[in-house]
Amino acid sequence: MNSNKVVVGIADMKIIQGSGELVTYALGSCIGICLYDPAIKLAALVHIMLPLNMETGRKSPMKYADTGIRETLKQMESWGAKRIRIVAKIAGGAKMFEIPGGGSLGNIGQRNIESVHLNLKREGIRLLKEDVGGTVARTLRFDAATGQGYIHSYGKPESIL
Amino acid sequence: MKDYSELNGLELDTLREIGSIGTGNAATALSSMLGCTVHMETPEVRIMGYNEAIEWIGGPETVTAGVLARVEGEIGGIMLAVQKMEFVNVALQRMVGHQIGEYDQLDELDISALVEVGNIMISAFINALSGLTNMTIKLSVPAFAVDMQGAIIAVPMAEFGGQSDYIMAIGAELICEGHTMPCRILLSPDIRSLNFLLKRLGVLDE
Repeated sequence: MNSNKVVVGIADMKIIQGSGELVTYALGSCIGICLYDPAIKLAALVHIMLPLNMETGRKSPMKYADTGIRETLKQMESWGAKRIRIVAKIAGGAKMFEIPGGGSLGNIGQRNIESVHLNLKREGIRLLKEDVGGTVARTLRFDAATGQGYIHSYGKPESIL
Repeated sequence: MKDYSELNGLELDTLREIGSIGTGNAATALSSMLGCTVHMETPEVRIMGYNEAIEWIGGPETVTAGVLARVEGEIGGIMLAVQKMEFVNVALQRMVGHQIGEYDQLDELDISALVEVGNIMISAFINALSGLTNMTIKLSVPAFAVDMQGAIIAVPMAEFGGQSDYIMAIGAELICEGHTMPCRILLSPDIRSLNFLLKRLGVLDE
């Protein structure tokens, strides 16, 4: 399965079809969103960092939950995916540091989770499974042949998403 | 307002100079805390995109410790001191008299020692910056985490990710009695503060 591994960086998105694996490393407060059309085995993984795109130039849509989801769906459709069949699995949104008197610092993960939920709903995409929140980082792998996700965290056994 | 990617040569050199002086101060503070002479080998100050910064620090999944403090006052931002294993073991040996093999062996005393080391280094760095610019800069209480370093250094990136795609990172090898302590500091002032800082130092080309 590892023979065809495609790495997705931060504020990045990749699409593969049929076989192979998408992987994104060390999601902290960021969220990895797996989007999948099972009928044509089309798999996309987007690694977002922030909840809302308020940039003037909008140079990096994949950095944000709202534009990242929208743009990924658009690209999947150009590969032949049908929106009604696309399902989602998400992981991330942790709080890495507990800051006394915190301010907004610790809340980015939570705000990301809320924004991803809202935007998936808005786009009419069904959320099948999630592993979000908490205080540990996650590495997310996503198998294009099966639509199965795998999560690895420091000091924990691998779990299935 | 200038983003990191729009800085000219002089402005970048000034940031590098700040990085060197700050790290030099942090090394001196570390000397007195560990009770040994700490030498610093030529520090490297870089301004990088997210994914480049994660590769520079040694890859996303490598587990590390991080001490983070919020910068407040006339400039705002985040400072993060990344404590790699070699660093942790030299510090722990000097302060509590033992070493660890894995980060999950850290006990409460070890953690408070590492937080203190990180805090002293961050404070010394910020004091240097404050002295250079004659600005009042305060620091929040430090926070500590052990996890995959990609997720740890994404914290300062995410905080100002809406303003910039870049982060400033300082790397230096600190030598304490023949032992190398890799020192990695990430400084992420928000964009307004970056501009204010350069203006204060008289190098901002508007």
